[in-house]
Parts: sequence; C-alpha cells; structure tokens
Amino acid sequence: MGHVDRAREFVRDESRTKWHDESLWFVRAKRDDAADTVPDWEALRDEAATIKRDALSRLPDLWRQFETAATEAGAVVHWARDAEEHNQIVLDLLEERGFRRVVKSKSMLTEECGLNPFLEARGIEIIDTDLGERIVQLRNEPPSHIVMPAIHLKRSEVGKLFEKEMGAPVGLDDPDALTALARKDLRKRFIAAEAGITGVNFAVAETGSFVVVTNEGNADLGTALPSLHIACVGLEKIIPAPSDLAPFLRLLARSATGQPISAYTSHFRGPREAEDIGSPAPAMHIVIVDNGRSDLLAQPSFRDALACIRCGACLNTCPVYRRSGGHSYGTTIPGPIGSVLEPSRDPKAHAELPHACTLCGSCTNVCPVRVPLHHQLLTWRAHLAEGGHHPTRRRVAFGLAGRLFAHPRAYEILTKAGRRVARRLPTAWLDRLTSPWTEARTLPPIPARSFREQMRARARQATKGPR
Amino acid sequence: MSARDQILAALTRHPAPPVEPARPESRPEMPANPWSVLEERLAQNGGRLVHSHSGAWIDSVKWPCEFAELTHVYVAKNVPESSPTPPASQLSPTAHLSTLTSRGVGATAKAMRDLEPLEVTVLYADFAVAENGAVWHVPASALERTAALLAEHLIVLVPASSLVATLHHAYERIALAETRFGWFLSGPSKTADIEQSLVLGAHGPRTMQLVALES
Repeated sequence: MGHVDRAREFVRDESRTKWHDESLWFVRAKRDDAADTVPDWEALRDEAATIKRDALSRLPDLWRQFETAATEAGAVVHWARDAEEHNQIVLDLLEERGFRRVVKSKSMLTEECGLNPFLEARGIEIIDTDLGERIVQLRNEPPSHIVMPAIHLKRSEVGKLFEKEMGAPVGLDDPDALTALARKDLRKRFIAAEAGITGVNFAVAETGSFVVVTNEGNADLGTALPSLHIACVGLEKIIPAPSDLAPFLRLLARSATGQPISAYTSHFRGPREAEDIGSPAPAMHIVIVDNGRSDLLAQPSFRDALACIRCGACLNTCPVYRRSGGHSYGTTIPGPIGSVLEPSRDPKAHAELPHACTLCGSCTNVCPVRVPLHHQLLTWRAHLAEGGHHPTRRRVAFGLAGRLFAHPRAYEILTKAGRRVARRLPTAWLDRLTSPWTEARTLPPIPARSFREQMRARARQATKGPR
Repeated sequence: MSARDQILAALTRHPAPPVEPARPESRPEMPANPWSVLEERLAQNGGRLVHSHSGAWIDSVKWPCEFAELTHVYVAKNVPESSPTPPASQLSPTAHLSTLTSRGVGATAKAMRDLEPLEVTVLYADFAVAENGAVWHVPASALERTAALLAEHLIVLVPASSLVATLHHAYERIALAETRFGWFLSGPSKTADIEQSLVLGAHGPRTMQLVALES
C-alpha cells in the first residue's frame, strides 16, 4: 500500500478529515500570531539558516570539537554508522549495568532507528514518557506527527485506550482527567527507571553541551532520577557556539506550536554531580548517529534538508498532510520534510512521496531555517524519474507528453481533435478517464477553442480596432 | 577503521560549500514596558507573574493551602528571607523561612525519590527574559533540579533588576562552558497531546508563579 491508498483510507471519514485539517490549521495560525510578535523574524530565519549551512560545511571539525569538550565534561561519546550500531551501543550500555527499566523522552532519531522494538525484544522495558508518544506506544503505532505524536486521535479514542491500559472509567474523555491518569502511571515509572534516554535538539561544539526542549518536563524528570543518561543525536544537530542557540530557540517553539518558548529548555554538559551516597555514580553517554546523513550531505540538491530543526511547521501548513494524516506517508517523518528526507534513504519505497505535493510552497514559506522544501520536492520528481522509479503508466504518459510538447504543431492538431471528441462525450465518462483527479471532483466544461486560439482571435480583433 | 573515523571521513568527502555566517547588526531592544510583555508571554505559557518586595514575597504568592498547613516544601538555599504571613506571625522573619526550609528533604539517594509528595518548591533564578517569559536557573544540586520537577507547585523568584530583552542578551550572560546543568523555565509542565487541549501539570508542577523581587 502506498501513500495514495493510505490517504484514501484516511479521507473516507469526511468529518475526521475535516477535524484533522482544522486542528493542524489552528496550530499553523498560532504560529503566525507568534511570528508576528517578533519584529526581526525574517532576519532571524536568515541567521538561523546561515548558521546551519555554515555548520554543515564543517561538520567534521565541529563534531571533533564537541567530542573533546563533552569528554572533558565527563561524558562518554560513541559513534554509530547506522541504526543497528546505535541500537547495539544503547543495549550494551544497559546490559553491562544490568539495567532493565528505561524511560525515554521524545526523540525522532530513536524512532528512526527502531530502538523500542529492538530493546523490547531483548527483555528491556522502554517507556515513552511524552504523553502523545506514550499514547501511540500503547496503541502500537508510530507517531503521526513529529511534534504532536497523537494528533490523529480523538479524546474518546484515548479514553478507550486508557480504559484498557490504566483502568480509566468507561466513557472518560476529559483531557484533564486522562492526562492526570497518565501522569500518575508515568510518575511511578520515572521513579523506578534505571536509565533515561533523550534526544537532542541542539549540540554545541564549543562547550560539549546539548539542549533538550520539552513542554512536559519529561526529558528532565527522565534524567534527574536514573544514574544513566543516554543522549542520542543525529549528525545534523550541531551548532558552533552557545550564542547560536538564541536564534534557534527564538524560532523553534514559535514555529512549532506558537508558544514564546517551551516550558523546559535544558542545557546539559556532562553527567550530573555525584550526590547520592550508595547509588551508582551518574554517567552520561552521547551516541552520535549517521544513519544516512552523510549520504544526504553528499547530495547538493537535498543537503539543505539537514538544516531542519524538526519544528513541524511544514506539516501543519501542508494541505496534503492536513488532509491525509501522518500515517499515510508510511515513514518515520511525514509531511513535506519527510517527503524530502525519506526518498534519499530508499528511493524505491518512497518514490510516491514527492508527488504528494501541490507545489503550493507554503512549507518553504514557514520553514524557520529556510529549507527550500517545495523546490526540493520538485527536484526529487526529476531524480526519481531518471532513476526509473516512476510507475510504468506514468513513465509512458510522461514520455508521450514530453514528445508532444516538443512539437507545437502536432500538439495543436492533436489537442484540437481531442477537444472535439471530448466535447461529445458524457461528463461521467470523461471523469472516469481522467481519474484519480476526478474521484472527488468533476472536470470543468471543455472549451470549444484552445487558449492559443482565443488569444489569436483577440489579437485579430485588436488590429481591426473598435467598431 | 572505526565507526568514528569512517563517519568523519564520509563527512569530509562531501562537505557543503562554506558560507559566511550572518550576524545581524542589531537585536531587538528592551520594550518600553518589559514586565507587562513578560507577564503576557508567561501567561501564554501558563505561568503567572507576581510583583513583590524582596522581604515580603511569602505574602505575595498564592499558596496551595493555608501556609501553616504546608508540610512538604523545598526551598533553595539562595532564596532571600521574607517576612511571615499571619497567622504564622509568631515566627520571626528568618525563623519563618527556616521553618519552611526545614520541611524540605535531605540530599540522600532515598530522598531524591522521597521528594515525590512535594507540595511546593521555591527557587531563585538568575534573570528573566522579557520576550518569552522565561527565567534562567542553574540548580544548586541534582536534588534541587528534581525538586523543581516533582513539586505540585513551583515558585521562582527573580530580582526585578535583572531583566534582559531577548535570548541573545540572555546568552551573553550565561557561561555555558561552566554550566553542568541549567535551564530556561517558563510556566508549569504542560501538554496538549490530547486533541490540542492545554492541560497544566503533565508530569511536573501544575502551577508556576514567577515573583519579580523589588529590592
């Protein structure tokens, strides 16, 4: 099943589609209001974009610098070429200490690496602690959004889930009450956890620090109690200096949810001080992960996507994402940015995604780090066509169209004949012929004359002058 | 070749072209009414601003119950003294704060987890940021960090004189290379993961009061 089929499933429920669309548009509107309060918003986007592009031009130096500084601070740095290495490093860290209970705060990287199923299969309990992440974890499904993982679910569905998992009373669907139940359940797990895993929003080369941003405080709670903190970070997350954090943190929450800043913006540098007598000394391990990022860096047309700070603004604004849902993409990261990133991993599997786009350009307009998303999506289409990743029907059709467009005279004769025939056919037939565009709409009436013919007629009239 | 060397080599093979990092010449200045801007932004994050005289902050904040009934409170060591609230007026000002502090918990491994029924945590932050309603706070210990997260209610005091306009100004004041752990706090712990409905108190404090202390 591809994106089109899964999206078709999603839109079958019209009221849900409308609800999903409106929920995300609400977040997009909040983003606009928040951006409007910042007088230097556009300059800030320029600044953030160039900081990231500068960092991408000297990744080896910055990561070496980070490694040295973080090691000095007492952290242990690991390098993972791919998802398997990453998962194995995390497993080894847990197993050598005999740890079995782990809490994790939202990290798209560990999603990408499939860390949860990997650890679960080896007898380790790993609990997602972000409420939305916890909900989708209990439902055994991936997040449908990179910032709001359970945006596809209604409160009644969460209620039913909690009825089964947390003993919620039948029919409970009040968000306050449901959150209170989850809080109680997760609090026990925070207290019992032996290790905490977090993602990283920004790694600072100069100081070996990294920043983790949450609204719930789950990354903080998950690292405050257990003795072991494992931070997993993708190669693209590095920025040169502490002062570079300012533009990104001014942009991030405003772009993501329209908040002035998230509730918790935590700066870690090395393990926390040894304070607890009789418990294991606190340790911090940082796993730096490539998993396809260096390949993406080698592709000039797409490397800018590595500047992405995962705010989700492009998802919230995308007319296709809003109306097809995150799961329809079948990828770790959905929406415009996912459609750019995922084909570089597996062009064959994700060849459809760059076509799930109207090229409206809204994603590019809201992106806080100016990733030229819709341009990249268009470029992907060309790459995928050249790579032979288009379905036969499209390849043949585009081949014919290409030849036709190269011969204006033939084009005119053929379209003229086509119009003549089409005007005589019943609309229902035509709609069926031009599917899938006409699955949910009907074609406009076929005009008697082409645009060019109409323009020629106007020109003739103009030279004749007014009568 | 190790994973590290392989990754570094791969990154060296295809670097992005160098760019000149852009540094805007000017940053937004302090707004004319910085505290009301801060108050509005903090409210957006679910927090509440209180103005108080340094010696009377205990009177100015909202306590979750009668002050005398509080049993589990964590007060950071650097929190300034405050005069007591009647009816606890039998206590001298300093005694009052120390009573509050003595209800806190010690820094042992067990205590970290025993912080759990904590009702209120009171912290003292370095400075506040007008543009987003955040304060910069460096916990004195892991225990203090945990206390800030496990309490039902959070109170953060900050000197009113130490207000900066934006995060750019904030980072000029932060020595990150010497900071093992520090955070910007703004509002209580919150989530909107169920149908975009804002719920305060996702994991940590359900309320957050920021007290601007006038000396």
